[in-house]
Amino acid sequence: LILFDVLRKVQIYFNEERTIRDRTLLEVRDPDHRIPWKVRFNLGNSSRQITQCRNSIQGKTLLTDELGYVCERKDLLVNGCCNINAPSTRQYICKSCLANGCCSIYEYCVSCCLQPDKQPLLERFLNRAAEGFQNLFTAVEDHFELCLAKCRTSSQSVQHENTYRNPQAKYCYGESPPELLPV
Amino acid sequence: MEPLEGTKSDSDHAPDQEPLPSNSASNCSQLTLKLEFSSKVVEHEYIVAFTGYFSAKARSLYISSALRNAADRALEWHVVPRENPASDFPSDFELVHIRQASARSLLTLEDHPYIKRVTPQRKVFRSLKYIPSPEAAAPCNATRGTQKWQSWQSSRPFRRTSLSLGAGFWHATGRHSSRRLLRAIPRHVAQILQADVLWQMGHTGSGVKVAVFDTGLSEKHPHFKNVKERTNWTNEKTLDDGLGHGTFVAGVIASMRECQGFAPDSELHIFRVFTNNQVHDGKIEIKQITDGNFNEQGSHRVGKVWELTANRVIMVSAIGNDGPLYGTLNNPADQMDVIGVGGIDFEDNIARFSSRGMTTWELPGGYGRVKPDIVTYGSGVRGSGMKEGCRSLSGTSVASPVVAGAVTLLASTVLNRELVNPASMKQALIASARRLPGVNMFEQGHGKLDLIRAYQILNSYRPQASLSPSYIDLTECPYMWPYCSQPIYYGGMPTIVNVTILNGMGVTGRIIDKPVWQPYLPQNGDHMDVAVSYSPVLWPWAGYLAVSISVAKKAASWEGIAQGHVMVTVASPAENDSEVGGELTSTVKLPIKVKIVPTPPRSKRVLWDQYHNLRYPPGYFPRDNLRMKNDPLDWNGDHIHTNFRDMYQHLRSMGYFVEVLGAPITCFDASQYGTLLMVDSEEEYFPEEITKLRRDIDNGLSLIIFSDWYNTSVMRKVKFYDENTRQWWMPDTGGANVPALNDLISVWGMAFSDGLYEGDFTLADHDMYYASGCSIARFPEDGIVIAKNLKDQGTPPPQNTPHLLKKGRKRERKKEGRERRREKERKKGGRKEERKEEEGKDKPPSLSCVFLPCRSFHSFTCVCGLVCVCGLVCVCGLVCVWFSVCVWFSVCGLVCVCVV
Repeated sequence: LILFDVLRKVQIYFNEERTIRDRTLLEVRDPDHRIPWKVRFNLGNSSRQITQCRNSIQGKTLLTDELGYVCERKDLLVNGCCNINAPSTRQYICKSCLANGCCSIYEYCVSCCLQPDKQPLLERFLNRAAEGFQNLFTAVEDHFELCLAKCRTSSQSVQHENTYRNPQAKYCYGESPPELLPV
Repeated sequence: MEPLEGTKSDSDHAPDQEPLPSNSASNCSQLTLKLEFSSKVVEHEYIVAFTGYFSAKARSLYISSALRNAADRALEWHVVPRENPASDFPSDFELVHIRQASARSLLTLEDHPYIKRVTPQRKVFRSLKYIPSPEAAAPCNATRGTQKWQSWQSSRPFRRTSLSLGAGFWHATGRHSSRRLLRAIPRHVAQILQADVLWQMGHTGSGVKVAVFDTGLSEKHPHFKNVKERTNWTNEKTLDDGLGHGTFVAGVIASMRECQGFAPDSELHIFRVFTNNQVHDGKIEIKQITDGNFNEQGSHRVGKVWELTANRVIMVSAIGNDGPLYGTLNNPADQMDVIGVGGIDFEDNIARFSSRGMTTWELPGGYGRVKPDIVTYGSGVRGSGMKEGCRSLSGTSVASPVVAGAVTLLASTVLNRELVNPASMKQALIASARRLPGVNMFEQGHGKLDLIRAYQILNSYRPQASLSPSYIDLTECPYMWPYCSQPIYYGGMPTIVNVTILNGMGVTGRIIDKPVWQPYLPQNGDHMDVAVSYSPVLWPWAGYLAVSISVAKKAASWEGIAQGHVMVTVASPAENDSEVGGELTSTVKLPIKVKIVPTPPRSKRVLWDQYHNLRYPPGYFPRDNLRMKNDPLDWNGDHIHTNFRDMYQHLRSMGYFVEVLGAPITCFDASQYGTLLMVDSEEEYFPEEITKLRRDIDNGLSLIIFSDWYNTSVMRKVKFYDENTRQWWMPDTGGANVPALNDLISVWGMAFSDGLYEGDFTLADHDMYYASGCSIARFPEDGIVIAKNLKDQGTPPPQNTPHLLKKGRKRERKKEGRERRREKERKKGGRKEERKEEEGKDKPPSLSCVFLPCRSFHSFTCVCGLVCVCGLVCVCGLVCVWFSVCVWFSVCGLVCVCVV
C-alpha cells in the first residue's frame, strides 16, 4: 500500500516535470536553418490551360479547385475542375476572410490563399516555419498544396488544446494564428 | 458389436486429422498445426446402454438384477457416480465399474430386457502439434488459398446487391451460447483471422499508407520494413517508443516477422502523440477528457476527424476500456464516420473492459446510436515488443489495430482503389461481421470481424448506401436490447431508433424524396405510427435516420406483432459522370417489427426524467460518489439504458414500464404516469415546470427524487488541475443540483441539506451502501421518514489528486427495494422524497482491492485505485495484466507487484 502511494507521487512528479510550451507553426530561428521548401508558385496568370484539376475534396457543399475557383459540388466537372460557367463559381474569392488572413470557410481560405499576390506572404512564412512542420511543408510541391495545408486547422488554431481560439474564423492562410476571442 | 474383453489396454490412433487452416505466417507456410486424436480403454469401466430413458434408481435396479443372474455372485461392482445437474434427469446409459469382469458376466448383463449393449469405457485424447510442413514452398500462390474459404462459406450465394438488408430478421441469433468448443488457439491474431489466405493470393498491404498515432516507434525495430516517416508531437525530445504501446500497435498492423502483422508491406507513418505518462490502462485518453466542447458541432477534435475522413482517410479507433459499464463509449470511436472497435477474447466473449452502450451525444432529446461498429480479438493478443520479440497485450486499443491491419490488407486487395473509402470499408466490415450469440448490439455492434468475408464483399462492391442497424426488430432478444425488453403501447413516449446511414457513393449525399413508411397491412402494420427525421446533408460519408415509433390509437387495447418498412433514397453527386450535375442514387429498405401491448395501468408506468440530467461535457459535473477519486467526471449520460441499466432491468422485472422524458416537465401528460423518477439531476427547473409539477402531484402523480450531494466547500475541494488545458476545473454543481431540487420541493415543506454522509444500511432485507449523499433538512410533520444515522463525511473527503490522471470506472448503481417503498408510500397516500442511495456490493476502493470474477481470464479483475487485471492479489501503480501463463508486465515503466 505504501508502494502505491509512492508510485502516485512518482507520477505526479513526472507530470510536473512536463514543461509548459506552446506549439506554433512559426519559430524564431537563424536564417541558416530554413526548412528546404520547394514550392513552385504559379506565376500570376489564371489563364493556365489544364485538363485535370486537383481540388479540395473534403467540402460538404463547396470545393476549391487548383485554379482558385470555388464552386458548389454539383458544379464540379468530371476532370475535377469547377465549371467556370456556373453562376455561383468564383475565382480567388476571399469571402468570410478577415484582415489577419483567417476565414470561417475552408474553401474560401484556400481560394483566397491562391491569389497570386499572396506569394510573398507565403514565402515569408515558409522561411520561418517551425521545424516540427518540416515534414509537412517540405512535402508540399506547389502553391495549391501549400494553401490546402496552410488553411487547415492545427495546434496553432486552438487554445489549451481544447477550444478554437476563434471558432468563427479558424482557417488561416496568413502568418498569425486566429485572434483569441475572450471567453 | 465390440469384443467385450476390454481389460487389456489398447490404444489406437486416429489418422492425422484435418490440419487446421492455420499455416504459419512467414513465407507462406513452414509450420502446420496438426490435430491428433487417440483413445484408450479405461480399465474395469463399462458403459451400459439401455433401451430407453430411465431414472438413476431404475437403472441401478436393472443392473443389479441382471448381475444377480451372473454365475460368479461375488462380483464386485458399483455405478460410477455422475456429478452434474443433468444426472437428476432420466438417462439411457450408465457407467459401471466392475472388478474382474468375465466375458460371461458381461453377457448376462446384456441378457436383461432393458439393456441394449455393454461396451468398454474409453478415453479420448486430443493433441495439438506443430510440424514442419513438407509441401511448404509449393502452394504459395496456388489455388489452395482460394479454396480454403470456400469450404466454410455459407450456402447463401455470396454476391449480393445490397449490403443493407444483411440477413434482416432472419439473422439467427443462437440462443445457446453456453455450448461452445474450447480449444487451444494459437494467438497469432492475423492467422486466426485467416490473413494468410489473402497473403497467399499476393496481397500484403502494399501501396496502402497507415498512420499510427500513438507512443512512437524505435528507429531500427527488426519487425518493420517500410516505415516511411516518424514525427514527434509531444514535448519529449524523442521519436522512440518508451512504453511499447505504439510499437505493439504498429506491429499488429505491419510486423513482418515473429508475431506477424496483417499488412507487412504497407507504408507506416508514425506520429508520436502520447508521452509515456499519457497512456494508462493500455489506453489513450488524456486528449479526450479535456475536450472542452464535446458535442458534434463544437469540438475541434470531432471537426478534425471529419476533415480526415472527408479526405478519404479511413479512421479506426478503439471504443474504450471503460466496460462493463454502459454509456462509456470513447470519442472518436463513437463518430459515425469512424470505425469503432470493441474487444473480445479468444472464446468470443465480449471482453469485460470493452466500452459499450449507446452514444450519449444525442441525449436528452434523442436516443443514442449503436456502437461499437464491430468487435475483434483484444484480449491477450500477441504483437511486437518494444525493442524486439513479442508480447501480449489486452485492451480495445489492441483490438483496433487488429481492425486497422485488416482494413489495410483489405484495401490492398481492391484493384480499383477509388472504390475504397471510409464508408465502403465500414460497410464491408459490418456486412461481413459474424454476429455473436447472446450479446446485444450495444456491446457487439454488428459482430465479430470476418476478414475473408469482408474481402469478398469489398471485391464485389458497388457504391451504395446502407443502414446500421439494417433492420429494426423490437422483438429480437437479446440482440435488440433494450428495445426488446419493453413492448410498446399506445400513449407511451415514442421509441426512437437512431439508425446511421452509411453512404459509399460519395463524401456528401442527401436524402431525396422524403422517406416513405410502408405498413404491412396483413401484419398489422397500421397499428403503429412511424415518423422519421434525418440529417439534411450526409457528410462526411454518413448521417442519421431517426425512426420514431409509436402505437396508433386504434391499437390502444390491442396485443400483437406489427410490421412494415421505411424506404429511403440517398443521392450523391456522381464524380465520374460525364454529365454535370449527375447523381448516383441508392434506395434502401429498413424493415420494422414491433410488439404492441395494451396500455398498462397508470400505476405501472414510471417516467424517468432525462432532461434534467446533465453530464460532462459540456460542464464539469463531478462524480456522484466522492470516493471514486480517479473518475472525477460524471460522463455516462445517467440514462436508464447506460449507467442506470441495472435499475431499469430491475424495474422491468418487477413489472413496471419505464419511459424516458427527454423534454421539460411541462411536456408530459401526468395523468398517464404513476411516478416521476428524478435521479442525480443537475439541471435547474423553469418556474413553469415547478408550477406544473405541483399541479401534477395534486392530481395523484408520485415523485421519487434521488438527490446526491451538494456542498460548496467540497466542490471547491474537488476542483482539479488539468495539465492539458492548464486550468482549474471547478464543478458546476455537486453530485446533483440540490439547491434547484430544494426550489422544486419547498412547496411541500421539504428540503435537503448540504451535509455529506455515507454508510451502510439495510432496508427491506437489502444491504445497501449510501455513498456520498446529503440528508433531509426539512420534512412535513405528517410525513413518513425512514431514517438511519450515517457517517458524517462533513470533513471534506480526501483531497483529489491535483492532476487528472485517468478516467476510471463509475459503478453501475442499483436501486433495489425502491418499489416496495414506493408501494408503501402510495398506500399511505403520502408523497415522499428519498435521498439517493447507492447499493455498494463493490465498495468504493480505498487502497485495498476489490475482487470481481473475471470471465475472460478465469481469474479476477481487481479494482485498486486504478485498474488492474490480475491473478490474485495485486498492488499496482498503474496497470498490470497477468495472464494465466504468468506473463506480466507493467505499463508506463512503473513497477507492478503481483502478490499471490
